[in-house]
Amino acid sequence: MTVTDVAPALELRSIDMHYGFVRALDSIDFQVVQGEVVGLLGDNGAGKSTLLKVMSGAHRPTSGDILVHGTETVFHAPSSATHAGIQMVYQDLALVDAQDIATNLNIGREILRKGPLGWLGFVDHKAQRKRSEAELDRLGVRTAAMTRPVEMLSGGQRQVVALARSATRVTGDRNGVLLLDEPTAALGYEQTQQVQALIRRMADQGIAIVLVTHNLPLSMNVCDRIVVLNRGRKVADVRTSETDNDQLVGWITGARPSMFS
Amino acid sequence: MTTPNEANEVVVPAQAGTTAPPASSTAAASSSQAEVDPAGIRALIFIRDRGIFVLWALLIIAFSVWANPFFGTVDNAILVANAAALTAIFAAGVAVGIICGALDLSIPGVAALSACTCGWLLVNGHPVWLGLLAGMVVGVVVGLVNGAISLRGFSPIVVTIGTLSITTAAASIVAGGYTIPGLTDLKFMGTERYFGVPAPVWIAAAVFIVGTMFLTRTRDGIRLMSVGGNPEAVRRSGIHSDRYKVLGFVISASCAALGGLITTAVVTEASPAASPGIIFTALTAVALAGVSLAGGRGSLPRVLVGALILATISNGLTIKGIDPYWGTGVTGVLLLLSISLEKWISTTVSKRLVATAQASVHTGTR
Repeated sequence: MTVTDVAPALELRSIDMHYGFVRALDSIDFQVVQGEVVGLLGDNGAGKSTLLKVMSGAHRPTSGDILVHGTETVFHAPSSATHAGIQMVYQDLALVDAQDIATNLNIGREILRKGPLGWLGFVDHKAQRKRSEAELDRLGVRTAAMTRPVEMLSGGQRQVVALARSATRVTGDRNGVLLLDEPTAALGYEQTQQVQALIRRMADQGIAIVLVTHNLPLSMNVCDRIVVLNRGRKVADVRTSETDNDQLVGWITGARPSMFS
Repeated sequence: MTTPNEANEVVVPAQAGTTAPPASSTAAASSSQAEVDPAGIRALIFIRDRGIFVLWALLIIAFSVWANPFFGTVDNAILVANAAALTAIFAAGVAVGIICGALDLSIPGVAALSACTCGWLLVNGHPVWLGLLAGMVVGVVVGLVNGAISLRGFSPIVVTIGTLSITTAAASIVAGGYTIPGLTDLKFMGTERYFGVPAPVWIAAAVFIVGTMFLTRTRDGIRLMSVGGNPEAVRRSGIHSDRYKVLGFVISASCAALGGLITTAVVTEASPAASPGIIFTALTAVALAGVSLAGGRGSLPRVLVGALILATISNGLTIKGIDPYWGTGVTGVLLLLSISLEKWISTTVSKRLVATAQASVHTGTR
């Protein structure tokens, strides 16, 4: 076990991933604790996406251990990762356009009405709206009216709804892990600021967040810690406060030697 | 519209852990104001969502004046309702199918097969309830088969064209190639009137009330609509989206079976000939109601009004002694006009919303 008193929300130990003779991941150690935002940087092909897929259960590593809240876990499929409280937020926002915000936030965990109508499967729209409003307020984002269809939202608002949707799914009795893949890729400046603020606030709620991005300013702004991958190896793992842009670029491009060699 | 920009902006008020009711803090109060969309947008959305009701009202007024005094009577209204009832039931099936992404073309075949199955049982001395039950079971089974095959990755259109042929053939086999006549036992759901209103109207009303409640109020209905809109999103929420797709096919085919049984009851004979006209009339009503063929959106009350509009036009023109093909033409023009209007409104609304939502964004990208 680790020497820290609280086990990390998600920990990977010497993860190897081989595709034939290609080493996509070479003995990667990685951990993220509750309330922490960890940035995962690297050039194209450095292994970021592969690592993210291992964390989300889409890929099974060739060797290595995955620990969720200190318990060793094997992900057979994305659904088992979801079950363990690890949610992936995809770039292509998985929202139902024609439905309103409240429905999108509540699908899969609907509140049924009390009494005979509930037995027939009738949904309590009012309670659902209320819960969604409370959840969005807690995250500090009130977008448009709860009854507004998602198709009528701007790109930033949609991303906020998609993030909030995932956030509400990992905050159960134990805070889970959110995996974000380029959450601001399609957004303008102001919307990026909103999403950044949201990510920070989700972390303040105790959610552990892994952020994959190419956007250096974004990672400098929101991450507590930054992990850099280069050709399948971890070359840096530093607190954001102890590094700067130039160092990171050096690690990403391979110009700067690895911290661990 | 000159409305405050804040109405659509993301408001970032509450501190973490605030669970107070919205009206208690100023920040939350401004966000509750943000719940209201600008009046112009609401008006446009009203026209888009409720325009078909206005159109129908206008048609009724126009015909009442033009075909005075024969059109605007209670008796004629019942005639129109009765004429619309069958179309409406088939249209409900088509609409539910399209909404969940399963355009079901086997509807005429299912109607014929269920009618002939019921008819065959009745002429062979079986009780009425058994005949009706068997007819409905035919619908459910064909729906399950359609769904099961479509889930293997085949296009629903092609699959249902296949089952259309199969069910049509099966209907002929059951009926021995000829119409089964003399099914007067079914009169209670055909020409019989209750409180002055024919039975098919009652049945259609029941179908639409139950269907609307199901789609908008119940968990399964909402999931069904969501599956039509974005199956992937629903699947990622941990829901078996496949089941809802099959459910869509089953509802679609059940409506077809019900329609077939009522047709049989009205004409007191079961015909094995599947009439493709059924599906095109139903599709016209559905398209008039603005149900997107892409799936995920649509509303049953509007589909009902769509069917009523078709019946109203045909009834009014008949009263005026105008040839029915004019009615078909007018319907086509109305359909094209209505989709153009909807397109225009949708783009205008999203333009305005984006304009207000980004009013404070200096970059103005996208």
